[in-house]
Amino acid sequence: MTSATGSHPIVIEHLTKRYGENTVVDDLSFTVQPGRVTGFLGPNGSGKSTTMKMMLGLASADRGRVTVSGRNYRDLDNPAHTVGAMIESDAFHPGRSGRNHLRILADATGIPQRRVAEVLGEVGLSHAADRQVGAYSLGMRQRLGLAAALLGEPPVLILDEPGNGLDPEGIRTLRDRLRAQSGRGGTVLVSSHLLAEVEHLADDVVVINEGRIVAQGPLAELQQAATLVRTDNRDRLCRVLEDAGATIEHHDSDGVVVRDIQIDEIGEQAFAAGIVLHELSPQAGSLEELFLNWTNTRIGQEVDAS
Amino acid sequence: MIMKRLIRSELRKLTTTRMPWAFLAVLVVLAGINAFAVIAGTDFDGSKAFIATEFDQQSLMAFAANALAIAGLFGAIAAAREYGHHTVVPTFLASPRRSRAVVAQLSAIGLGGGVLGLVGAALTVVAVALALPATDFGFMVSVGNVTQILAASAFAGAAGAVLGAGIGLLVRNVGGTVTGAVLVLFIAPPLIAQLATETASWMPSVLATVLTGVGNEVSKPAALVALCVWAVVPAIAGLLAVNRRDVV
Repeated sequence: MTSATGSHPIVIEHLTKRYGENTVVDDLSFTVQPGRVTGFLGPNGSGKSTTMKMMLGLASADRGRVTVSGRNYRDLDNPAHTVGAMIESDAFHPGRSGRNHLRILADATGIPQRRVAEVLGEVGLSHAADRQVGAYSLGMRQRLGLAAALLGEPPVLILDEPGNGLDPEGIRTLRDRLRAQSGRGGTVLVSSHLLAEVEHLADDVVVINEGRIVAQGPLAELQQAATLVRTDNRDRLCRVLEDAGATIEHHDSDGVVVRDIQIDEIGEQAFAAGIVLHELSPQAGSLEELFLNWTNTRIGQEVDAS
Repeated sequence: MIMKRLIRSELRKLTTTRMPWAFLAVLVVLAGINAFAVIAGTDFDGSKAFIATEFDQQSLMAFAANALAIAGLFGAIAAAREYGHHTVVPTFLASPRRSRAVVAQLSAIGLGGGVLGLVGAALTVVAVALALPATDFGFMVSVGNVTQILAASAFAGAAGAVLGAGIGLLVRNVGGTVTGAVLVLFIAPPLIAQLATETASWMPSVLATVLTGVGNEVSKPAALVALCVWAVVPAIAGLLAVNRRDVV
């Protein structure tokens, strides 16, 4: 994720947000590339939702800026045609029908009313369109939120926890929809606590913890960024590699997983120290393992998009 | 063009929940109470002196002060519920220049308040007109004065709704907003008037009564301007607050 390759990148530069003495977003910089799905991950209270709100002009930044297609969200001529956003999971009046919710948004954005029926069909909500939202299940509300985001057929989607409450069919539909969007060159940023789902969906990930980026890049590369090393002289090897800047996890009795230095450097360090290696191989990690490692999240600690 | 779209959207918000029907029901009940008073009510001396002259009947039908209060609550709830239900989020996503969205909202709520005031006054006039044949008195109010009652009620309704909406934008919580509106419209004015008697003529309900033609504490143009000030000051304060605050 280094440079924009399409017409609608989201560029975040030195974004910082403070509430009193508390810095909730701390100098974030990354680019969400067109044509790719980017997963935005972090534990509870890590600053993801605040970052998304700043992207969409709902919260002001104390420092830094966010641009979509080179422009601040507030300066977009008709933002609904550029950015579709789902930022609050329950931003509906319970006494209003789903159809009327969308008709209100269509009115405000100048989108033809016929598009309302189309998008209700796209998210599988036509049958409940005239029911009051208060009677909707969580999954139906999520579908309505997604419909609102898709209403203007925007090339950019910013979705906060879109899979929350969806049944397996709904999750699959969502995944297909987002993959299709990125396949057409669209820009997709999705926060989710469903790490397995993100693993299936995301091309890139940005992981934040306590308001700071702890990992970012193509998911496939990040997942290959660890090395399994076996040796009879494990303790000494660990000291040598840690001195070289590596992060080490114990794998089993004679194996360790090494991160933060390249595989060839591990071999060179071991050779220089006269340590015999029995195995030196790339280690693919699951996103969950990586996430826990990046964020130092304890097993059982809740992970979600806060 | 953008403002027209936003106002249409805000009007659809107001007309796609049950809230307007609840307020309409209140207006029907009030009109019914007026009709009942005409038929069954008497003065202290047992007479029907309170409907004996055109001025008496016009006073009975002078709905503007009621319109101000009812529309004030309508505006307060309509604005604050946007924050309670977080529907302000899609609104500001659609219109990130918040001033436009808020001005559209205030316009729609003001229009809604005006309609409530007009309908409330019309229902009251009709109810009194239908009830009067049950008494010894006919309908005496001239067309001109009925028109004045209707216009004053519509204007007071619009002003009250904008005033209430301004409080709603500031407070954002429906319960707190309704409390604030009650404070501003019902509780604070008599207290202020007691503390500074010269201000009594400038309280919202008194100004509304002047507009209906049954009060003369100030001139009608002065009442119009003063009522506008009552409405616009909290609305501007609300607008400034909305522009400054994060949407959380």
